[in-house]
Amino acid sequence: MGHLLTRLTRRHKKFTAMAALFAMCGLLLLPIFLALPALAGGGAPAAGGPPPDVAAEQEAAKGEGEEEKVEMGRDVYYKIEGPAVGMPAPKTEDNETYYPRYNFESRVLLWVANQQHLYYGSFVLAVPIFCMCIEFAGMVSKDRAMAKKYDQLAYDFIKISLTAYSLTAILGGILIFTFLTLYPAFFGYLSSIFRPVMHIYALLFVAESGTLYIYYYGWDKMKEGLMKWIHLSMCVILNVIGTVLMFLANSWIGFMMSPAGVDEQGRYLGNIWHVVHTALWNPLNVHRILGNMAFGGGVVAAYAAYRFLSAKNDEERAHYDWMGYIAMSLGVAFLIPLPFAGYWLMREVYAYRQQMGITLMGGLLAWLFIIQATMIGILFLTTNYYLWQALGRMTGAERFQRYIKYLVFILVVGLLVFITPHTIVMTPAELKAMGGQQHPVLGNYGVMSAKNGGINAIIMTTILSFIWYQRGNKIPAVKWAKFGNIFMGCFFVIAQLNNVWLACYGYFIPANVRIGLSVPQVAGTLSCLFLMTPLNLAMLKGAKQLGPIRWGQIQPRSQYALIMLATAFTWMMGLMGYIRSSVRLFWHVNEVMRDNSPWAYTHTIGFAANVISFNVLFFWITIMFVFWLGALGMKKAPIPAAEPVPGTPAPQPATGH
Amino acid sequence: MVGIIGEAISIGWPIFALLIGLLFYYQATIPDPVQKKQVSFKLMIGLLVAFMALMAIANYKTNFYGESRLLPVSLVMITIATFIASLYFTNISALMKIGGFMFFVAAALSGYGNWLPQVEGGFPPPVVKLDFQSMSPQQLGDEGEKIIFGGLGQSKVQGAIGKGQCPLCHGFQKGFLSERAPNLFDIPGRATKRLDEPNYHKGDPASRPSVQKEAFEGSGTAENAQEYIAESHACPNCYVVPGFGVKGTNDTESPMPRIHKPPISLSMGELAAVDTWMYVREGLEAPGYEEIVASYEKFIPEADRITETAEDDGAAAGGVLATGEEPVNEIFTKGACIACHTIPGIEGATGKVGPVLTEGSNAPQRLKDGNYKGKAKSVREYITESILSPSAYVVKDFPDNQMPKDFGKKLSAGAVNKIVDYLSQLKEGEEPPPIE
Repeated sequence: MGHLLTRLTRRHKKFTAMAALFAMCGLLLLPIFLALPALAGGGAPAAGGPPPDVAAEQEAAKGEGEEEKVEMGRDVYYKIEGPAVGMPAPKTEDNETYYPRYNFESRVLLWVANQQHLYYGSFVLAVPIFCMCIEFAGMVSKDRAMAKKYDQLAYDFIKISLTAYSLTAILGGILIFTFLTLYPAFFGYLSSIFRPVMHIYALLFVAESGTLYIYYYGWDKMKEGLMKWIHLSMCVILNVIGTVLMFLANSWIGFMMSPAGVDEQGRYLGNIWHVVHTALWNPLNVHRILGNMAFGGGVVAAYAAYRFLSAKNDEERAHYDWMGYIAMSLGVAFLIPLPFAGYWLMREVYAYRQQMGITLMGGLLAWLFIIQATMIGILFLTTNYYLWQALGRMTGAERFQRYIKYLVFILVVGLLVFITPHTIVMTPAELKAMGGQQHPVLGNYGVMSAKNGGINAIIMTTILSFIWYQRGNKIPAVKWAKFGNIFMGCFFVIAQLNNVWLACYGYFIPANVRIGLSVPQVAGTLSCLFLMTPLNLAMLKGAKQLGPIRWGQIQPRSQYALIMLATAFTWMMGLMGYIRSSVRLFWHVNEVMRDNSPWAYTHTIGFAANVISFNVLFFWITIMFVFWLGALGMKKAPIPAAEPVPGTPAPQPATGH
Repeated sequence: MVGIIGEAISIGWPIFALLIGLLFYYQATIPDPVQKKQVSFKLMIGLLVAFMALMAIANYKTNFYGESRLLPVSLVMITIATFIASLYFTNISALMKIGGFMFFVAAALSGYGNWLPQVEGGFPPPVVKLDFQSMSPQQLGDEGEKIIFGGLGQSKVQGAIGKGQCPLCHGFQKGFLSERAPNLFDIPGRATKRLDEPNYHKGDPASRPSVQKEAFEGSGTAENAQEYIAESHACPNCYVVPGFGVKGTNDTESPMPRIHKPPISLSMGELAAVDTWMYVREGLEAPGYEEIVASYEKFIPEADRITETAEDDGAAAGGVLATGEEPVNEIFTKGACIACHTIPGIEGATGKVGPVLTEGSNAPQRLKDGNYKGKAKSVREYITESILSPSAYVVKDFPDNQMPKDFGKKLSAGAVNKIVDYLSQLKEGEEPPPIE
């Protein structure tokens, strides 16, 4: 009887906990649902419309039977008519009223505030997505030890994110104050346009915070059975809210680059969906999600590297070695599709305004893309270096070491081809000195198909390095292993030959035809990625183990490769953000609101590089502080003492990668 | 260097004072000589690291807005400082090494950015109010060249781009490969042929396959070559040259913006200048100003026309020194020419920095000079060139780069004309001409 009572009480407690949880989630999400009809209705409250007293007068006038006259405007993007309910974009002048200033360039101040908020925002949006994947992996894992490890890892991730979360909110506040103080007219105009969705943004932020705190603090209470699934579902909700939040933030920059929902004078036409859903909104959304994930992976990998290098014992070292590997893998997994998302974004930019595309790729900002190309090469080179170092902690992986020099050769040649410029932007004096826009020697080589060949060769080599890493301590034991190996080898060789042949063929055909060669080149690389990686996993089922992965026994220099990845990625993010923003040239809102401030010009590359470096270092110094705080508040040991640690010599399951 | 050291000391003196104070304090209080030596050594290292870090900050503070490309050196200094610190302060060694490595990566990338050619995007083009209507076809054509290419004589310079932004997509020279938009060489001649192409649907806009049938309702199609050019500028979607449409639209939509609209926003006068240049540069007789403007009025509704008297939208940052309505002596004064040049007949113009401007005598000799590499063929062209591009020919014994190169932006075309008129009449030993 007593036993039954205990079970009933336990069930009752569980039911109460679940009910409380659902009630809390419902309360958090309720305001958003209440606000949604306004959005669906096109944002009935007129942005930038008349003040309440004037509106009341208008209503009264209507009541007296007078016809209300609403001026119509034509949408600059959607080309449809709508009631011009907003105020025109302000025509600013270079004075203190429109552009208040301190003894420092206002644009740089805003640039720094914006970039810092973006770095932290990206990080706290990316990490919960990792947590979701890792927690799920732990839940479905049949190996209890691995399940524990994954769960602990997900917990470690969210803990880092939580400390950064409050800093993100503080930086958001600083950004708004900076904007309001330095660009009041511009901010006033933007907020008048986005007024119908601003409260949704704020409510989403509240919901995001609430969900995150329940998710984090409920970790230990919701660790078994159904409650664990509910816990995971909370993470799904958290990510959905975070993603919508980011989409809303992106709509501001999408509007600034490719305005819609307003007429030529910048008057809001009553449809908030048009304002949000601009020409570049979706490509920006996809690009940012992938970018955030790669960046988040980099930051967590750097955290793991820091903990590895400062570890006091082998146990800690093993845990953080493994954590670094997982974070790096996740980051690189999202880095690979990033160039394709970038290609889509650029294609849409060209479709929206051809001059904007040319300014980016062949005009004023073209040199910055040379830097970007170099950085992409560095990122892949570093990834390969880390994987080769990681082979060193596996028994049996020595057999691959002798081939690494050939991979180095392919990577270096690929990088050199990839960064060779073709048409160069320069001053008239430089043009005269060189005798044209193309270098007399290099100009013959740096054509698009060859550059594509270079980067595709690099990506294919990275895929091969990863496959070698997966095979490090295993030998395929499936019956068709020999056939599989030959097939895989031939596939890589043919893909690489196809890539090189098309790269060379591009020199003999016109430029507009040459552009089309990128499709078969990319197809070869993607085939290697999506066919060969699963094939390799299939071949490794039931593979013969040559020895354990000796987690923690990796050269410290490998951890610097992780730090290099993280720093270079942060720098590249700053660079691309600068490019995206400065392509508007002297427009606050492209073709609608002109920038008449004393800073309406585009800086030199050197100046931009200096500010980007400042932003990167400022971010890393502050996040190091956050890491340090996280370590101070460490409640849980990395791995419970009773569980087997990753560094133990016992054979690891094949799914351990 | 001395300045930077001074700045570093002025920023970081409390840190230096604290470290030196600690050095003396430990010297006096630690009895164990070995321990004393260790602490003193660490404090000396601390002083060195602090000095390097503060030098780096001082370099940033001093040269942030300058043209120095050596700012990344600061990051290298911090890298070295942190690595030194990591060697001697073992409790924070990992953090210092990681930080140092990050500074090193940032220094390398910053250095790369500073090493590349430095291209700076200028301010938006200033609005200069010109009286296009009273210009001769040649003057109008010159203004057109400035709008398209950014300056006189720039049409032959590859990559030159002006307010019109046309060379971003169009080629202008015969045989020049123009992949994004049609090559505009011989456009006045080719325009008539375009009108006869079946896809143009002359007189029958409703049958056009394009996304936009007419520039505005009732505007109709072009009837002659000039109207064709005007329609192409005002309504690029009305007719798309085969092969140059937006990808995937089967040439029914053009990627070209309407050039009387933002971001280009050419006024009616500027449009006339651009079109005039198209004719003049091929040695053809251009239609008159009124005729060109009338052709645009056919395709641009009145509300969308930007006239020279239209409200300045605040872009005239910097402003014009002289409009050309002033007497020439006032223009010389406003342009501060008198500060550097001696100009006979102009009161106060006794400057010695630049040569005496008796150009009626000087210019013919300089045009014959073997060292002359400019493009002028006449005295007037030589004087114009000297004002707009002072480095095109530098008079012997006078330094280059002394004269400002932005008079093209600061003086209106009328003001330049007045200066040229006056200086071309100035001859050595002769009476100066009357001031107008």
